[in-house]
Amino acid sequence: MSKWSNWIKWAVIALIAIVFPRVFSLYYTNLFLAFAIFSLYAVTVNLLLGYMGVLSFGHAMFFGTGAYATAIALSRIPGFPLLPSILIGGVAGGLLAVILSPLLVRVSGTAFAMLTLAFGQLIFVLALKFREVTGGEDGVGGYTVPPLHIPGIISINMTNQINFYYFAMAVVVVCLLILWFYTKTPFGSLIVGVRDNALRMDYLGFNLPQTKAINLIVSGAFAGIAGSLNALLLKLVSTVGILDIGTSFTPIMMAYIGGVGSFVGPIVGSAVIHFLETMAIRFTERIGLINGAIFILVVLFAPQGLVGLFNTAKEKWFQKKEKA
Amino acid sequence: MNILETKGLYHDFSGLEVLFDINLEVREGERLALIGPNGAGKTTLFNVITGNYHPSKGRVFFKGKDISRHKPHQLARIGLGRSFQITSTFAKLTTFQNIRQAILSKRGIHFQMLRLLDRMEDITKETDAVLKRINLDGQRDIPAGMLSYGKHRSLEISMALATDPDVIMLDEPTAGMSRDETHTAVELIRRLTEGRTVVIIEHDMDVVFSLADRITVLHYGEILATGPPAEIRENQAVKDAYLGEMEF
Repeated sequence: MSKWSNWIKWAVIALIAIVFPRVFSLYYTNLFLAFAIFSLYAVTVNLLLGYMGVLSFGHAMFFGTGAYATAIALSRIPGFPLLPSILIGGVAGGLLAVILSPLLVRVSGTAFAMLTLAFGQLIFVLALKFREVTGGEDGVGGYTVPPLHIPGIISINMTNQINFYYFAMAVVVVCLLILWFYTKTPFGSLIVGVRDNALRMDYLGFNLPQTKAINLIVSGAFAGIAGSLNALLLKLVSTVGILDIGTSFTPIMMAYIGGVGSFVGPIVGSAVIHFLETMAIRFTERIGLINGAIFILVVLFAPQGLVGLFNTAKEKWFQKKEKA
Repeated sequence: MNILETKGLYHDFSGLEVLFDINLEVREGERLALIGPNGAGKTTLFNVITGNYHPSKGRVFFKGKDISRHKPHQLARIGLGRSFQITSTFAKLTTFQNIRQAILSKRGIHFQMLRLLDRMEDITKETDAVLKRINLDGQRDIPAGMLSYGKHRSLEISMALATDPDVIMLDEPTAGMSRDETHTAVELIRRLTEGRTVVIIEHDMDVVFSLADRITVLHYGEILATGPPAEIRENQAVKDAYLGEMEF
């Protein structure tokens, strides 16, 4: 029964994603895609926040590095193919995590948050100053999305927005499935163990720095892929919205609003924020005010986020039914 | 043969000497109790042996190997397990998940990312078997933090034992337990540590004298006496320092 309802739920979500660009305008289609990309990004933040129990205040460095890697590769190398251009974003994000991990795995709590904040700002400033490569404040632009070309099998034109929508959506879904699987593996359970009681994990014989480093690298690499997709969607990468502190903060807010305790929480949070922004922009430009208010309300009244709230409500509802 | 021993072990906390010249010997297969008044350095000695602190002088040998500079996870992997004075479990995870972490460690599964943990039947089976053995199968899906105090402590001891260590070090396993809980815990420890080497810190003398094969008395960071329970009971120095006029 519950298995069936699960399948139906997923079928409905898949159907919405497939039909969306046929029903709504291009503007909303791209907005929907942005929601999907930020969902992936927020999930990678939650791999650290919800699963490992450390708050990354500079996650935009992974997202941004991925975006810049893709944009630079596409604008500098003529004929750079599509799939490698996404892969290079993931590799760049992962590589940055590899470089930073020796420092980051040795701290936790506030120190971790501050250290990631510092590195995030460092990368931000580097991107601004290193004009020859990153274009400074102008950023990197003027590239087109290359076609999806697999010799002898398929060649799809990705300058067509709808084609690109389906392709990017597929990448996001595949990444989310991989990450979901990842959290359910034995290694995923070790990450949760580190969050709950690091000392116990140590005394059970698990190498803490190694475990934390691997999770950090996975998180960084997939954040890089999200950034890469964002670069392809926007076709212009500059520090604003890619590397700045706001870009680090948005996924944290999404994760908290949806709920850090579950895998789908950040996705729900991303949906809420994108929906609210779309609605709010019609009336006011002060979107931050509305997002901030929602954030405060959730933290005050639903610390487990909307998913946690929903689960509690469901439990109570079924308890009542049983009693009746 | 001594499976675990310390030679001329000293430890100080930035100038404050806590352990002086400790020569502890633990024989393979015995249950050694470590007793002494509060502040004698029992837990510090545990922390130095299990790699939480490094000794300021002297060495620790485990199975004949110098482990003075080993880290806790390295020691756990070569067969030295421990429990804590303050219960240390994964409070938000279920009893089942707690034990399962230990089983993963025992099997050396550290970086498995290609299989779903819930589908690994052999691990589920082994975990359930452990839960049955420690009488916690009824609380299988309850978060560890929600267990009663006695059961919570039993869970921690069982977790340390589930990694199948050769030497298990228990830091006041019955602290804070009621009389009934203590009795159950002692029986559990006796049953689970069959054939294993146990080092146990304990204040409850009934527990000490019923469990231990040998007793080492620690007093102000020094070893006062070591010997079988009957001998320690009659030792004048121990009486003066610790046991006093207690009746046994």
